[in-house]
Amino acid sequence: MSYGNHSILKNINIEFDEGKVYGIVGKNGAGKTSLFRCIAGLEKYDGIINSSHYPIKNHLGLLPTEPFFFEKITGKEYIQLLCNARKKPINDIERNNVFDLPLNQYATTYSTGMKKKLALTAILLQRNEYFILDEPFNGVDIESNILLTEIIHTLKKLGKTIVISSHIFSTLSDTCDEINLLNEGSIIKSVQREDFQLLEKEMKQMTVGNRIEKLGLL
Amino acid sequence: MVQGKQQMKEYFALQFNMINRRFRDGGVVPIFAYFIFAIGFYLLSNFLFKTTEFAVYLYPFLYINLIGRLSETQRCEFLTICFGDNQFKKIRIAENLIFTIPFVSFLLYKQLIIPILFILLVSLILALLNFRTKFNYTIYSPFSKRPFEFTTGFRNTFPLLILAYVLVIIAASVNNFNLGIFSLMIVFGSSFSFYLSTENEYFVWSYNLNPRNFLINKIKTALLYSAALTIPIVVLLSFYFQQNIGLLFIFLLIGWGWVICGIVTKYSSYPNEINIPNGMLLALCLTLPPMLVILTPILFYKAEKRLENILK
Repeated sequence: MSYGNHSILKNINIEFDEGKVYGIVGKNGAGKTSLFRCIAGLEKYDGIINSSHYPIKNHLGLLPTEPFFFEKITGKEYIQLLCNARKKPINDIERNNVFDLPLNQYATTYSTGMKKKLALTAILLQRNEYFILDEPFNGVDIESNILLTEIIHTLKKLGKTIVISSHIFSTLSDTCDEINLLNEGSIIKSVQREDFQLLEKEMKQMTVGNRIEKLGLL
Repeated sequence: MVQGKQQMKEYFALQFNMINRRFRDGGVVPIFAYFIFAIGFYLLSNFLFKTTEFAVYLYPFLYINLIGRLSETQRCEFLTICFGDNQFKKIRIAENLIFTIPFVSFLLYKQLIIPILFILLVSLILALLNFRTKFNYTIYSPFSKRPFEFTTGFRNTFPLLILAYVLVIIAASVNNFNLGIFSLMIVFGSSFSFYLSTENEYFVWSYNLNPRNFLINKIKTALLYSAALTIPIVVLLSFYFQQNIGLLFIFLLIGWGWVICGIVTKYSSYPNEINIPNGMLLALCLTLPPMLVILTPILFYKAEKRLENILK
């Protein structure tokens, strides 16, 4: 995938299995969101993406970093819109409101965390096979974080494929089977669950380095 | 004080530049756009005043409906944070007064002084009251089952829809069929406007439909919901003006034609906003309804092609 002559993603070769959770980590601008948009079919790219459910987009629940909401649309109507789009009938939205959101209020009046929970509820009710969650834990309160982690575990048990990006390492180590490190548009490392601690240590070393000393606080 | 004046000057210069930039991005020279707007405004106002004697009451109402959008809560909060309370009020008064210019100019031309005074008074009151912030509750929408165009559109324009219903009652009581048709076209005009702004691509991408079925689905919803909105008007006009049922039916078809044309025009430029060539085709369809029969299928085909990128 590229903008003009500038390639955003290069030589990405990755496989996501059913019933597994994958983490994508990388600095801001590493290409995480671009990778997600390519998988979703929202960006043009050179290459092939294969999936058992085709086209992927019709079976994919995409949670953007900053979900978009129309003015004067309630939480309930937002869910209805996304479920209608996938032809998935919903019988009892109130019962499915696991995050206790004020569904009859305009979604634009929600806090950042509530907006994220609303967008997540909608893609869960779409009964997707694949999930891409871009920063799902950002801005979400601690109780909902716990619930979200449990939801991810349940989706995994149901054989769904989940890809998550997060800047909070612990949220990934709690949920993922594999973490992929994306750097300047390429996946430079794939780490399995047993080596997560090692990866965290390595990332810490790489990121922090001697920057704290440079601050001159000590 | 001087700093305040400078702030206001900079704010309005920025707004002016932003509007001009939008025109240029759409491929139109700003001065030409202003000229077209002035001509269009004059023609529509003239049409309104020729159609009904109630135009003198409708005109201020249309003005209020227009400036109501400037009082959006988020917008007002942002301006208050940027400029402080006093400066914000001055900006809001100035904005509302700028928007009175076309209305007041036309009323001056018609030598109607009382509506001018009313519009000026209302513009000052609304700038100071910021009523939308105080009444920030969820407005009921009968169109929640198939969001979003009619759901949000109804909430944004319900005063205009109420006005249309009031007008049709007046039309029946004073035996003025033209006024009844005008009220019908207010409803269709509103329904048409619900489809003009371009939604985020996420809400198109989400659909499990191919481009053709996506467009048909949008058209079906629009026909169903616009029919629901026009039913009271159609029933009343059919009852009171039985001799004009044929004409009423033609206007119904034109109204639905406008709405369909609005939908296919929007998606023929998607994900960009309606571009100038397509906008011109749309304007042609609005002014010369028979053109709808030829241009709507062309725009439908263009929209289908355009959506193939997102709805594979």
